[in-house]
Amino acid sequence: MIRSLLAWLDHRTGYAGVLHEALYERVPGGARWRYVWGSTLVFTFGVQMITGFFLWTAYSPSANTAWESVYYIQNEMTFGSIVRGLHHFTAQLMIVLMAVHLVQVIIDGAYKAPREVNFWLGLVLMQIVLGLSLTGYLLPWDQKGYYATQVATKIMGNAPVIGVEAQELIQGGPKYGHHTLTRFFALHAGLLPASLIAFLGLHLYVFRRHGLTVKDKNHAPETTFWPDQVLKDGVACLAVLLLVLGLSIWKGAELSAPANPAENYAAARPEWYFLFLFRFLKFEFVEHFGLAFGSIYVPGALMGVVAAMPLVGRWAIGHKFNVAFTWMLTIGIGGLTLLAFYEDGKSESHQAAILEAHRDSERIRELAGGPNKIPVSGAVTLLREDPFTQGPRLFAKHCFGCHRYDGHDGRGRLVYEGRPDGTQVRGTPTAVDLGNFASPEWMRAVVVDYSNHFAPLKNAQWFRNPGDAEVLNPDESEMADWSGDAEALNSAENAKNVEALVAFLVAQAAHSNNGQAVEGDAAKVERGRVLAVDGDWAGAINGTSCADCHSTVGGPFKAVGDDDADGYPNLSGYGSAAWLTSFLSNPAAAQHYGEKNQMPSFAERMTAEELELLIHWLTGDYAPTAVERYEDRRERELSGSKKVDGKSASAEE
Amino acid sequence: MIDENPQADLTPEDLPEADSSGETDGVQESAESSMVPAEGEFPGFAEIDERDEFPGFAEIDEVADFAEVAEVADFAEVAEVAEVAEVAEVAEVAEIAEVAEVAEVAEVAEVAEVAEVAEVAEIAEFPGFGESEDGQPEDVVSSADDSGAAKSDGPGRRSFLTQLLAGTVGTVVGLVPVLSGLVFFLDPLIRRGQSSDPDGSGTSGGKDSEGFVKLSVTRPLLPRDGTPQQVTVKDDLVDAWNKFPNVPIGSVWVRRSESGEVIVFNTICPHLGCSVEFRNVESDFYCPCHLSAFKLDGTKDNPIPPRDMDSLVVKPDTGDEIWVQFKNYRGGISEKVEI
Repeated sequence: MIRSLLAWLDHRTGYAGVLHEALYERVPGGARWRYVWGSTLVFTFGVQMITGFFLWTAYSPSANTAWESVYYIQNEMTFGSIVRGLHHFTAQLMIVLMAVHLVQVIIDGAYKAPREVNFWLGLVLMQIVLGLSLTGYLLPWDQKGYYATQVATKIMGNAPVIGVEAQELIQGGPKYGHHTLTRFFALHAGLLPASLIAFLGLHLYVFRRHGLTVKDKNHAPETTFWPDQVLKDGVACLAVLLLVLGLSIWKGAELSAPANPAENYAAARPEWYFLFLFRFLKFEFVEHFGLAFGSIYVPGALMGVVAAMPLVGRWAIGHKFNVAFTWMLTIGIGGLTLLAFYEDGKSESHQAAILEAHRDSERIRELAGGPNKIPVSGAVTLLREDPFTQGPRLFAKHCFGCHRYDGHDGRGRLVYEGRPDGTQVRGTPTAVDLGNFASPEWMRAVVVDYSNHFAPLKNAQWFRNPGDAEVLNPDESEMADWSGDAEALNSAENAKNVEALVAFLVAQAAHSNNGQAVEGDAAKVERGRVLAVDGDWAGAINGTSCADCHSTVGGPFKAVGDDDADGYPNLSGYGSAAWLTSFLSNPAAAQHYGEKNQMPSFAERMTAEELELLIHWLTGDYAPTAVERYEDRRERELSGSKKVDGKSASAEE
Repeated sequence: MIDENPQADLTPEDLPEADSSGETDGVQESAESSMVPAEGEFPGFAEIDERDEFPGFAEIDEVADFAEVAEVADFAEVAEVAEVAEVAEVAEVAEIAEVAEVAEVAEVAEVAEVAEVAEVAEIAEFPGFGESEDGQPEDVVSSADDSGAAKSDGPGRRSFLTQLLAGTVGTVVGLVPVLSGLVFFLDPLIRRGQSSDPDGSGTSGGKDSEGFVKLSVTRPLLPRDGTPQQVTVKDDLVDAWNKFPNVPIGSVWVRRSESGEVIVFNTICPHLGCSVEFRNVESDFYCPCHLSAFKLDGTKDNPIPPRDMDSLVVKPDTGDEIWVQFKNYRGGISEKVEI
């Protein structure tokens, strides 16, 4: 029955002949592993077609939905990370397989007559695949793809004659926007795959017409494609599949923070297989000849030499030249790639940039996955309005000129300064490290170790050369005197008192820990309040209280007008968000440091939103995060501990 | 392909399996019967040599070494469908639609049916046919004529007109979608220079009528030692169908020069568009991508960037406020060309 059905079908379609043709290709010299490369390439392309189609069903190309839909695919959809992972890693593997295939073809002389045309068809396929990589890199619309692709299109704009027009056409305008995505997507999912199918068809047809390039006819008895070679090809494809599946599951395709034209992305790099070109462009001698030389003419000329190989290869010496050229090119590309990796690896600033990129990427994943999901304005606003993300940046921009944050600049970067002799030293802070601002340690230090706590001020220019100005001196003030009575403060009888006062001050500041309010011991806090307001100390400081000078101490922050100020810093709600807002807006107000103040006012330097973001970050008031803080990471690295819990480890990956 | 065909010049006698005695009636019968049982029973095939009168026939010879003949169904003005048995070396039997009303074919009296049958069988292989996008029967005929004309001693005037007409129709139907699509695709170039400013007043968001936008930093706040400050520039952003009011559109480096005037640079590197950073150790501007370096006055400090940093026009006489004309410039070239 089936037999006659098939016969009927064959009668009308002739499929049997085609099938026979396809399967019983002669393989002189026997099936070999060295023939699998082409088949794995066809397989990877198949994987890309399949996974690409399914990604297409969930992808939305526009500037405020592209990243968002990819986030949704990657993090929320069933098997989304697998399908995207397969597509992401197979694309990279395809480049590797293509390179191996090309090198093998050249070494084996498989480009020689009568296979010249097929060699050129292969080169066309290579350009198409590179085009697919380039267009695909932008589609997630993340910082990484956005900035890397900017470089590619800018290079395109430097092409002779039609460069600018070509750039604007592919971008859909002079700048990146919605139409950049729609156009890249149309190329990536339409024109390029269609061309790839057409040229792959031709490539295979011409390949079959000429048959295999047999390395050694006597290697083994002649066989046919099916089943001997098919088995080997199948095993190779299986290996490929396992590799990309493993990468998808264990590593996962990266999705950095959403593209933001106003936010620097110092970690910008092209995909690793274009790193050699990237590194090449960094040579100064290349730049002497202009950008188009390094980025267009040189690669174009190299491709030209490769394309001319079938012609050059007519002579034996020509073939030798081709092989030598191929090896040199391979070594050159490999060398430049390794050099790029090496340089980035040892560049402290690049590593910091990468760390920050990963941090943002992790953080936006948390925010987008939050209960409010992503607003219509796009995920980029989530990061823009997130204190955990913006606080460190604002700190680095506005505060680190004087302050440090646990020794770094807020963004995890250690600060160096050049000495006149050219050596570098860790920069000297000229104000207090704010890493533990309003923590129990901070409060304790202010109370019992005031002079030391504020000692960094003495590094400042204004302190060293005060001129006529009256400046704040951490060694000589009433507070320094009181706090300097170490004997009394540190005595056993006052130990509990200090502890209670610290608890009270910490409770006043009301900081959150990673978005969670911190509950103090109510009895202790109340005892601390009494000590602050009434004073109930033992020993030499008996009869003193904070309120003796700081009449404001004892309750939540209450602004005091210039005329009503008591001449001592306002301690109501000291360290709290409300206090910080008032203090940062004008540290020289009478209720704060008054005339002695050297700290600039930040009401003028920052917008109200920025100030709020910074304060929310300083007070730990933001959506809880599992992202490792810079200081925790540093601590972990310094202690050399390899043991980290899975979550923070993956956050760093 | 046609020229290489060894069968192209065979006479009917050369066709090994064809019976040249010729019984057209038999053809009719065979053709109309559902299946022609065996080789050699297709006497009408002998008439095929009248190819001069049947220009399209040149290709039909390929039937001889065809493995398969495509099935063509319901083709335009198909009057009858005939099933034809294997002819000569035709390995496979095909179901063939017959074009009955084609004028040129009809003139070939003796071979009318057979020729048409064969021609239609060859449709799939017609050189001209594959290019025709609309599938009009005229195209089939003209294609046949085209190739036939090459072989025969000049087609008739009618044939020429048909060719001309068919060619014109084919071009028009092909070009209209292609050209309109291309023009559509060129939209960004065609609309170049058109302002994205919707109300045409030149003002948008924080911009004044001269295109200056106010920065969030003031003159007294700039460090006296000339250390640059990075400032985000906010304005309305129009992207195709969207207008995003007052969003960050870029950023600038602002510093006080030695002479005390305010100078402003776009942070975008004039090389390839990464962001230029300030290095306090070297006290210079530096791009982390391709290592472009600039002095604090914006002049380039190594050969990598093609030009100095892009300085922006600062509005004079604005008191403490700093207003700047924010623009982006093309990368990679030595001239400063606005985008």
